[in-house]
Amino acid sequence: MMLEWEGKALLRHAGVAVPAGQVVRHGSEVATFEGKVAVKAQVRSGGRGKSGGVLRADTLDAARQAVDAVMAMRFVGEAPEAALIEGWQSIARELYLSVVVDSAAAGYALLYAPQGGVDIESGPPPARYDIGPARNFRAWQFRATIEAVETDVAVRERVVTLAERLVRLAAGRDCTTIEINPLAVLEDGALMALDAKVVRDDWAHFRQQDIAAMQEADKLRQPPLVQACLDMQHMYVPLDGDVALISGGAGMTMGVMDMIKDLGGAPACFLDCSPGPASTRGYRPAFAMLDADPRVKVILVSVFGGGTHMDRVASAMRDIMPTRTSKKPVVFRLDGTHVDQVDGILADIGARNHASLEAAVEESVRLAKEIA
Amino acid sequence: MSILLHRHTRVMIQGITGQMGRFSARDMQRYGTTVVAGAVPGRGGQEVDGIPVYATPREAVEHAKVDATLVYVQPSGILHAAIEAIEQGVKLVVATADEVPVQDCIEIRAAAKANGADFLGPNSPGIISPGQAKMGFMPSFCYREGDVGVISRSGSLSYEVCQRMTRAGIGQSTVIGIGGDPVKGTTAAEALALFHADPATRAVVFLGEIGGVEERTVAEYAARPGAKPVAALIVGRTAPPGKKMGHAAALVGSAADTPEAKGRAMRDAGVFVASGLGDIVANVRAAREHAAGPAAR
Repeated sequence: MMLEWEGKALLRHAGVAVPAGQVVRHGSEVATFEGKVAVKAQVRSGGRGKSGGVLRADTLDAARQAVDAVMAMRFVGEAPEAALIEGWQSIARELYLSVVVDSAAAGYALLYAPQGGVDIESGPPPARYDIGPARNFRAWQFRATIEAVETDVAVRERVVTLAERLVRLAAGRDCTTIEINPLAVLEDGALMALDAKVVRDDWAHFRQQDIAAMQEADKLRQPPLVQACLDMQHMYVPLDGDVALISGGAGMTMGVMDMIKDLGGAPACFLDCSPGPASTRGYRPAFAMLDADPRVKVILVSVFGGGTHMDRVASAMRDIMPTRTSKKPVVFRLDGTHVDQVDGILADIGARNHASLEAAVEESVRLAKEIA
Repeated sequence: MSILLHRHTRVMIQGITGQMGRFSARDMQRYGTTVVAGAVPGRGGQEVDGIPVYATPREAVEHAKVDATLVYVQPSGILHAAIEAIEQGVKLVVATADEVPVQDCIEIRAAAKANGADFLGPNSPGIISPGQAKMGFMPSFCYREGDVGVISRSGSLSYEVCQRMTRAGIGQSTVIGIGGDPVKGTTAAEALALFHADPATRAVVFLGEIGGVEERTVAEYAARPGAKPVAALIVGRTAPPGKKMGHAAALVGSAADTPEAKGRAMRDAGVFVASGLGDIVANVRAAREHAAGPAAR
C-alpha cells in the first residue's frame, strides 16, 4: 500500500486533479505559506481523520506546530513517515469513487457513492459496476449504474470520465485498489481527489520499477535477521506465542497454527518458507532469526511438500542443525514427495521425524511448557 | 469418472526441460497420465523421458493433439504462455506458479472463457483424478480412487487432508487446487458446478481459509435443493486481523472474513464444518454418508 502522497503523485501523473502539496518530516521544513492548509499524517492505517491525524492551520507557525504534532502521533501503533501539507479546499460536496480488483467481477469493479467522506461505511452500500478486464470498461454501462444515485448530470459526467482514467491507471500500473474518499466537488464544479488509498500488486514488481523499490524499502525497515529471511522469499508474520513454525504453504501453515492452539500451545509466527529455495541457504536465515528471538522456545519444522522435495529439506536440516549454537529444541514433521528418504538423512544427526502432525505438535507444545 | 482430467486426456508440459518439468514428466507418466508433448522455446526436436519437445504450443497441438497443458514457467511468462495455448485450442490450462500478477490472471481467465477453455490456478499444485491422471506436483501416495471431490485453496493442506482421507479408506474422484489468489482461473463455485454434474462424485470437501468470498459461495451451493453434501475446513483461526497470511487473498479484513463467521454461514447452509485437521475426516465421512444412495458408476 502506498502512502497518500505517493498515491496522489500517481494520480497526478494520470491526469487526475489533486491539491498542490508539500511533504515534510519536521515543522522546520515548512518554508512557504499561503492561505489555509491541511496538515495530514502519512500513515497506512485507516481511520486517520477520526483519530486526529488531519489538522488545519491558518498561519506558518501553526502549520509548523501541526506538522510536529501529527509526527508525534501514533496510528494503531504506526508512526507517520511524513506529513503532507496541502492547500485547504472549499468543498461543495464529498463523493466516493474506487476501483478494486474483485473476485466476483473476475477483474476490476468500480464503486461509487454520492455521499463520501469519513462515514462512508455507515451509509448505504455504493453503486457497483463489475468490469472484468480493464478493456471491458464501457462509459455507458457505468453511467447507467450511477444514474439512479447521481442526479446531478454535470457531476455524473465528470465522474464517468474520471472513472475511466482510474481503471486505465489501475491496469497500467498494476494497482489492486485505487480509492478516492473524499472525491471533492469544488465550488466551481470541478472534481479533486482529496485523499488517495492506492494498493499496488506486489507480484508485478518485475515490470513496475516503483513496486520493486517500495518492496526493497519495506524490507530495509525490518531488523537484519528478518531481512535475511525476506531475501529468501519467506513470508513472515510474527505472533504472540512461543512455538515457532517453519512451514510450507500458506493454508497448511495456518492449519498447523490452529492445531498448536487446539493442543494447548501458542504459535510464535507464521513463517511460510515454500516460495524460497528448499536448501541449506534457504532455511538457514529462518533458524538464525528464530534462535535469536527470545520469545521462541521451540521450533517446529512442519513441511508437507509436493514441489518441495523432502530429501532436500532433510538434507538442509542435517547441514544446519550441527551449526546452531542455540539449545532450543527442534521438532520435525516432514511428509510429501521423497519422504521415504527422510528417516535415513535425519538419522545422521540423531534426529527423529514424526509420522503424524498431531504427534509433532503435541511434542512441541509439551517442550515449550517444560522450558517455561 | 472425474472432472476436467481423465485417463485419456492428452497433456502437454510447457517448460518441460526445466528441473520441475523433468521431474513432473516422469512422475506424471508413472502415475498413468497421457503426457504427449512438451513445449519450450528453442528446444524443438529434443525429448524428455521419451516425450517429444516442440518449440511452440502451436506445433505441439498440431503434431500431438493436446487437450490440456501444465504451464511450468516463471510468473513473468505465465500470461503469454497460457494465452498461446488457449488460442491454439487447448481446453484445460493449469498454472501452478505463485506470485503471478492479478492483472495477468484476469486476462488469462478472460481468454479461457472466450475460447471455451478451463483455467486452473495460479498458485495451485494442479489437479489429480486418482487412479487415472495428474497434472502438477502433488505427492501421488496421498490419494486413492473414490467418490469424494476435493476443492482446495491451499496445496499442502490438500495433501494433508487427502492423505488422512485415503488412510481412512475414503477415496477421491478429483482433487483440484483452485489456488489462493483473489482472481482465480476456476472459482470454488465453478468447481462445485463441475462436481455437481459428475455422476461419480457423491460428496465434496472444501478446504478454505480466512479472507476472500469462496466460502460464501460454497454455503450458497450447499443451501440449494438437491445439492451434494459438502464438508469443509477453514484454517486461520489464529491469524491476527489485518495481516496478509502468505496467500494474497488470505487476510481478515472484515468480520465476514473470520473463520468463525465463515463456519457459521456454512453450518447454517448444512455444510459439515470441521473445527480443525483433527476432525475433517469425520466430517467428510458424515457428508458422504449423508449422500442419498450410492454414486452412479
